[in-house]
Amino acid sequence: MEYVSPEGLRIDGRRPMEMRKLQAEIGVVAKADGSAVFEMGNTKVIAAVYGPREVQNRSQQLSDQALVRCEYSMANFSTGDRMRKPKGDRRSTEISLVIRQTMEACILTQLMPRSQIDIYVQVLQADGGTRSACINAATLALADAGIPMRDFVTSCSAGYLNSTPLLDLNYVEDSAGGPDVTVGILPKLDKVTLLQMDAKLPLDIFENVMQLAVEGCKAIADYIREVLSENTKQLEYRRGL
Amino acid sequence: MLHNKSFVKKTKSGKITKNVREHYLRDDIYCGVTICKVCDSSAARLSGSASSPILVLDTNVVLNQIDLLENPAIDDVVVLSIVLQEVRNRNLGVYNRIRALCSNSARKFFVFSNEHHKDTFVQDMAGESKNDRNDRAIRVAAQWYKSHLGGAAHVLLITNDRENKRKATEEGIPAETIEAYVKSLDRRDLLDLLVRPASEDVNMEEVEDLRPSKRKVIYAEHKPLSEITSGLHQGIYHQGKLRVNRYNPFEAYVGSESIGDEIIIYGRGNMNRAFDGDIVAVELLPQDQWHEENSLSLADEEDEEEGVHLVPGSADDAPRTTNLVQSAAGPPRPSGQVVGIIKRNWHSYCGSLEPMPMPAGDGGVAHALFVSKDRRIPKIRIQTRQLGNLLSKRIVVTVDSWDCLSRYPSGHYVRTIGEIGDRDTESEVVLIENDIDARPFSSQVLACLPPLPWSVSSEDLANPIRQDLRHLLVFSVDPPGCKDIDDALHCAALSNGNFEVGVHIADVTNFVHPSTPLDDEAAQRGTSVYLVERRIDMLPKPLTEDICSLRADVERLAFSVIWEMTPEAEIISTRYTKSIIKSCAALSYIEAQARMDDSRLADPLTTDLRNMNTLAKIMRHRRIERGALTLASAEVKFQIDTETHDPLDIGMYQIREANQMVEEFMLAANVAVAEKILKHYPLCSLLRRHPTPTKEMLEPLLRTAASVGLDLDISTSKALADSLDRAVGEDPYFNKLIRILATRCMTQAVYFCSGDLTLPEYHHYGLAAPLYTHFTSPIRRYADVIVHRLLSASLGIYKLPAIFQDRPQLTSIADNLNYRHRNAQMASRASVELHTLIYFRKRPTDTEARIVKIRSNGFIVFVPKFGIEGPVYLTERSEKGGGEWFVDEQQQKIKRMDGSISYGVLQKVNIHMEVVEPQPNRPKLQLNLV
Amino acid sequence: MRGLQLPLTQTQKVRLQRALEKLEALLSKANSNASVTVADTIPVNYDDAFLKGHGTTEHNGEVVATVCGVVERVNKLIYVRTLRARYKPEVGDIIVGRVIEVAPKRWRLDINYSQDAVLMLSSINMPDGIQRRRTAEDELNMRSIFEENDVLCAEVRGFQHDGLHLQARSQKYGKLQRGQLLSIPPYIVKRQKQHWHYLEEYGIDLILGCNGFVWVGEHVETKDEMLVDQDKPESQTSKTNDYSMSLESREHTYTPLETRQNICRIANAIRVLSMLGFIVTIEVVMEVVNLGVSQNMDTHEMLGSEFCVLVAEREAERRSQKRTRGN
Repeated sequence: MEYVSPEGLRIDGRRPMEMRKLQAEIGVVAKADGSAVFEMGNTKVIAAVYGPREVQNRSQQLSDQALVRCEYSMANFSTGDRMRKPKGDRRSTEISLVIRQTMEACILTQLMPRSQIDIYVQVLQADGGTRSACINAATLALADAGIPMRDFVTSCSAGYLNSTPLLDLNYVEDSAGGPDVTVGILPKLDKVTLLQMDAKLPLDIFENVMQLAVEGCKAIADYIREVLSENTKQLEYRRGL
Repeated sequence: MLHNKSFVKKTKSGKITKNVREHYLRDDIYCGVTICKVCDSSAARLSGSASSPILVLDTNVVLNQIDLLENPAIDDVVVLSIVLQEVRNRNLGVYNRIRALCSNSARKFFVFSNEHHKDTFVQDMAGESKNDRNDRAIRVAAQWYKSHLGGAAHVLLITNDRENKRKATEEGIPAETIEAYVKSLDRRDLLDLLVRPASEDVNMEEVEDLRPSKRKVIYAEHKPLSEITSGLHQGIYHQGKLRVNRYNPFEAYVGSESIGDEIIIYGRGNMNRAFDGDIVAVELLPQDQWHEENSLSLADEEDEEEGVHLVPGSADDAPRTTNLVQSAAGPPRPSGQVVGIIKRNWHSYCGSLEPMPMPAGDGGVAHALFVSKDRRIPKIRIQTRQLGNLLSKRIVVTVDSWDCLSRYPSGHYVRTIGEIGDRDTESEVVLIENDIDARPFSSQVLACLPPLPWSVSSEDLANPIRQDLRHLLVFSVDPPGCKDIDDALHCAALSNGNFEVGVHIADVTNFVHPSTPLDDEAAQRGTSVYLVERRIDMLPKPLTEDICSLRADVERLAFSVIWEMTPEAEIISTRYTKSIIKSCAALSYIEAQARMDDSRLADPLTTDLRNMNTLAKIMRHRRIERGALTLASAEVKFQIDTETHDPLDIGMYQIREANQMVEEFMLAANVAVAEKILKHYPLCSLLRRHPTPTKEMLEPLLRTAASVGLDLDISTSKALADSLDRAVGEDPYFNKLIRILATRCMTQAVYFCSGDLTLPEYHHYGLAAPLYTHFTSPIRRYADVIVHRLLSASLGIYKLPAIFQDRPQLTSIADNLNYRHRNAQMASRASVELHTLIYFRKRPTDTEARIVKIRSNGFIVFVPKFGIEGPVYLTERSEKGGGEWFVDEQQQKIKRMDGSISYGVLQKVNIHMEVVEPQPNRPKLQLNLV
Repeated sequence: MRGLQLPLTQTQKVRLQRALEKLEALLSKANSNASVTVADTIPVNYDDAFLKGHGTTEHNGEVVATVCGVVERVNKLIYVRTLRARYKPEVGDIIVGRVIEVAPKRWRLDINYSQDAVLMLSSINMPDGIQRRRTAEDELNMRSIFEENDVLCAEVRGFQHDGLHLQARSQKYGKLQRGQLLSIPPYIVKRQKQHWHYLEEYGIDLILGCNGFVWVGEHVETKDEMLVDQDKPESQTSKTNDYSMSLESREHTYTPLETRQNICRIANAIRVLSMLGFIVTIEVVMEVVNLGVSQNMDTHEMLGSEFCVLVAEREAERRSQKRTRGN
């Protein structure tokens, strides 16, 4: 299969180093403390954050920091074939854990002891890169909820097909079976909080691919910052003095 | 950069799933015309001037006229991405060719990604078929080019689709058919390259009239694809690849998974226009017809007959009719007929025109029949304007179509190779037929070579990964005149009574680096090809014969496997290292043998040789104990006149102890390396396996053996080896004959990627080794290059190249190596056959032969001295059915009705060999009973 | 971007857009770009001493925001005032909360804070109004004062080791009945001197809780409440009667239809403001209510798109007027 034509175009018309179109909206769930929809091309993810609030299960309460919980799910209509998937399958559990750990790394949990933060993310449309989109959506939702964070977490994936590093794989490219590197970074602190790959890749190529993914993360960070700052300004001027 | 106009596309695949795909339209796709002022012209290919137009091709033009496009006369071509996509879906072969054209920097072919350009993308319209949409896209792109370039260049849409042409003209786009365009170029030779479209009814009439069949329906209409698909689902039809019997073109096999057996297809009618290699849908015939056309005769139609050829080396190239003889007793095998062709395997074929009188009025268009060299291919009807020129030539022809009204497929002339019968021409035919690239290496490839003259540098010496072994007494043993010496040996006695034995292999990977043009070329060629009179190298000559070759008395880089062995040849330790060696002698097998045999010599080299030989004998014995088969082949050797390159003498290849000694250590090195690389890279090692032959495959051997009262045990390779050892008759040649017969029952060993199979399948049957690979000939086999890289990576010397991470690609490399390897063998055989013919042309000979197979009208004999095999007819070909002879199946004998004479399998007969020429330009070797 | 979840026609969209732009222009004139997002560096004069407050942290010697909001500088203190965030209690805030749990000697209340707030039995005025030690019997009778899901008004007392404590030591605090509880983002409630409002013309009490809980209910005379409270001990003597009693009393204190409609009107006015993210003060609320009346809007129409746009336009006008007046 030819994923990059000799003309340097991918199947969907992007060049190898290009990301899909980004689109984000904040405040989509009225009842939640913070919420956001994040789109990367046809991948669309909604995230809602509740909290910090009283810990529901007292025995889990932490006296020195907040408890972060995360639930990931995929809407039945999110993929081409409408499948009824059991809740809490292995994949969901794993991604829930990944998102939780990634977000926990950036939330200043020690500022909110004895409380709990719930993050719910649901994939509305799946077209590759759902993991990254979930993390980006969760970041936006957390920022919207006014939860103090060290930095944003932004995530982006990159792959390696036809001997070319490709940024932001879509479903077709993802299912090609090549390596898929998902990276999450804290752009301001310049630190990596998430790095996943379930394939083998020689080190030098891996470094290229990862560097590409990091570049992608930074571009996403710029976009997220823009969205948030626009949102903050709007809230502020609407409120008035 | 990112033009954000995404849209959704729905496609259905089997079950209903909705696929939504993004499609980005861009504004940074350039037109590729050098004179364009708007676009970035860094990648521009098209010159474009007012005089010569820029051609925009329609899909049908690319699909049908690829031969024409490959001609350098056609240039300044825009290939639209939509066209490429359609071509790819329709015919992958043509796609690869057009892609090669586009990437060839000498040609002005430019790929314009119209599907992703914001101005040339067209949305599907309701009720519009996919074809119409694509045609519209092509017109829109042509229109865009026209307006984009303005008056600077002339744009011409080339289409053979009338509707498309009409619409284009309506829209104001200049459009032409390819015929009209070629005519306007005023080049007669190009016209022959043109494919006649079947739809051009005016021409068709004319063509039909010329043929004797007069529009008679000869073949059954193919079923429509929808019917085939549903038929396949219901199990009425069976899908499979059609393979035509190499020795009887009227018989073909379709391996069907749904039946689990092969379906036999008899006759051209049942084959229904299918070619060898086509994927076809087959319908089974009613059971009572299953045996109808089965015949034991050698051939049953007009001028088709079995020729003399080399003895097959394995089951892969043996004729497949063998088990038919037996089928009379067993249940009949299913036979069927082709109802549809799912995928064509048409490509170009080598051959010559059937002799015919020159038509009146020379210079006009003549219709001729083309006969392929490959017997599996039917005759092909072509049109030509240069008939007189072509009659005595070997030419290449491509198939275009096969109408059910016509007996033969129609095609067109591609190019001329040379005079028929000329050795160079025929050699080239051999190369083309076997898809062997004999072109000189390109300048990019040669640029990868180290500067000459090359010698071991101080850096190489200082390199810590490289061990200095120049002090060792290393020597090589090869066939006489061998220039690409890729292996050398040493054997040193240690103080503790053990021996240190080293196998040193040319360090090709030191010069051939991954993903360089040199490496790509070598990977593509896969192997060197040895023809009788020439060698086609896998690597350029400086590498093959000098830099890598472990010649005597020069320092060379090597990759060494060094064992410490006890005098009983028990391996105590194995180590692998890159090294520098200096060979002290490049011996031939004969020389090495002579040294060992000459008891007067006691120099260190000879002692080492003798020690090695002793060790090798023990190792060989142990290997045979394990069940390794000693198989025999009827290899022949030519003596070639150095001036004329004509064969002077011909004889069986003699195997000496020295050969076996070298072979033994090479086997050991290969096994040792296989173990090492598999341990480090269990999923991406390249190994070689030899599948265990099934009982059915060995059936002919058993039957032949039984008829001469021999009982073979085939339960294990060990049992088979033992019973082969026991098979000694009064005839000294008997044992070898049986071994040759056994060899040809087995399939060939193949390369594979270790991740693709499970461990038990890695087994090498012939060598009785659980693991095997090729390590010892990197100069002439690419597999060894790969293995070298794996080994050096496993030693931590170099990183593993990226290719090894890509399993599908590794598998495809292994497949290519198998294909190339097989082709190289076929080419060698064909070359030997060719030279045999040349040899006997002047020397009719009487000789001794063995009967290997019984047929209804004769038998097939094997001539040990020349390693050839061919039919001997007892009855004249005219009198069919052979009234006075009958075949005794049980005893494998053919007897005269009156019982006076009988011939049995393995019987010795005397024959006369002579080259006859039944048709002009068609010499063939004929065998007659004396 | 945060969007309104309302179907707007094209003209409405344009009008709304224009109104919002006007608001933006007004503010940007008044306020320099002080809004920050997470991980933005806050410009600080490093020569001066400064204190890092809420929503800030230090990274590589720079002051960095940890939340999205507006940078505020009070003397040396630099902090980021969050906008959309949970309520941050300050001592003395008037809040409205809902009882979640009755625990030993205390009630737990949901006040839109990261933890539940605690209202000790000892921190309230007893129904009988007598200052005394709480007895074991009082503890047993806690449910008769506040039950689960009761809405009440209280004041933030401060942080103790076990969380946020409230107090309700005044007759004006206590249980809220016969009205609506609204939950709006706390940042649009301005901290003011007065959070209780008695809207005489509608006969309604409006409590703008600092925590974003807003109570709109029938006006209750504090005096009356006292009387009712005084009645209570007698009624409580027969516990079995409690339920029927409350039924009776409910019937007794029937809320007239008009009052109920007014409650809804005012509640909807606040909803519209919260939807638009405009600040909620008593003046603005009354203005919106009056606007609704003047436009002959039905109560339910107040949540429609047209009214929403009208409110936005009116607000823009109001603020610009206020500005010119201020100047």
